[in-house]
Amino acid sequence: MGNSYFWGTIIPLGIGTLLIRMSFIFFGKHLKLSEKSQKLFSYIPAAVFPAMFAPMTFFYQGSSEALLGKERVLAMLFAIGVSFKTKSLLISILAGLILVYFLK
Amino acid sequence: MKAKKDLALYGVKAMLPIIPGLIPFGVIMGSTAATNGLSFFETMGLNTVVFAGASQLASLDLMGKNSESLIIILTGLIINLRFALYSAASSPYFKKLPNLFKLMMSYLLTDQSYAVMTTHEDEFSSKNDVIYFCVGASLFMAVCWHLCVVLGFVFGNIVPSEISLDFAVPLSFMALTIPTLRSAKHIAVACISMVLSICFYKLPFNLGLIVTVAICIIVASIFINKDPKQKSEVVDG
Repeated sequence: MGNSYFWGTIIPLGIGTLLIRMSFIFFGKHLKLSEKSQKLFSYIPAAVFPAMFAPMTFFYQGSSEALLGKERVLAMLFAIGVSFKTKSLLISILAGLILVYFLK
Repeated sequence: MKAKKDLALYGVKAMLPIIPGLIPFGVIMGSTAATNGLSFFETMGLNTVVFAGASQLASLDLMGKNSESLIIILTGLIINLRFALYSAASSPYFKKLPNLFKLMMSYLLTDQSYAVMTTHEDEFSSKNDVIYFCVGASLFMAVCWHLCVVLGFVFGNIVPSEISLDFAVPLSFMALTIPTLRSAKHIAVACISMVLSICFYKLPFNLGLIVTVAICIIVASIFINKDPKQKSEVVDG
């Protein structure tokens, strides 16, 4: 991997990420959030995270013949149910891992 | 006000149950960096400079596909946009701190530290108590994260392949999402995000995530504009 490509990418990403983290802690006085933007903010995790875990799960080719290699999709759906029920990070992850262990 | 040390130790204790979810994430980050040909210095550089696992993994994936730097940076920043939400939520506690302290607390904001803060903040009688609780929790998280990445980098995938540890990464993204879905509209946005991201997966220049999130935010703002007046969550800025 080229050095300038690597550092030229991650340094701006790092600075931008730090600025996002600093935003309200440093400039809270000047950044008055309207009620609407506050509500919009609450949708950010719902917009971003599923766009990451859905393709990672859906396009993974597994080994279960009965499920056409899509055992992770089934395990993910199960883990989503567990997560709704328990809200626990650890229990949800374990539920998904254990089910996929038995399915594949 | 309680002793700072006790508060920080309480923060460590509160972070403990979250750490098992962090371990596979860090180990995979380390082993992915190693398989993508990053040196140890580059891996720890990425880990320190960005310090946000989800965007780091996405960056590694896109770099492996030789994506344009600009696309990688934009994708990473969109993934990390949620830190603005965490920054807003924690700003009332850090308001009066010296700038360097504020900078440290900003840098240490993570999904895990935010999760721990929101579940425990009501237990404290003063805002200062929350500060040292957060110091303990977030420093402990940072140390564990770096250790897990080192483990992953040095030993590769130490876990036997019968256990699909890499599956823990999408699982942990999912498990971070579900507790934030506080209304049917949030659930709808999450579903739209899932479907669109799969449809847009093959988009040129790896624009899939950027386009998906942009559409989801537009949908969310339509939801909000149609919303009849309701009590909003107060984020004290």
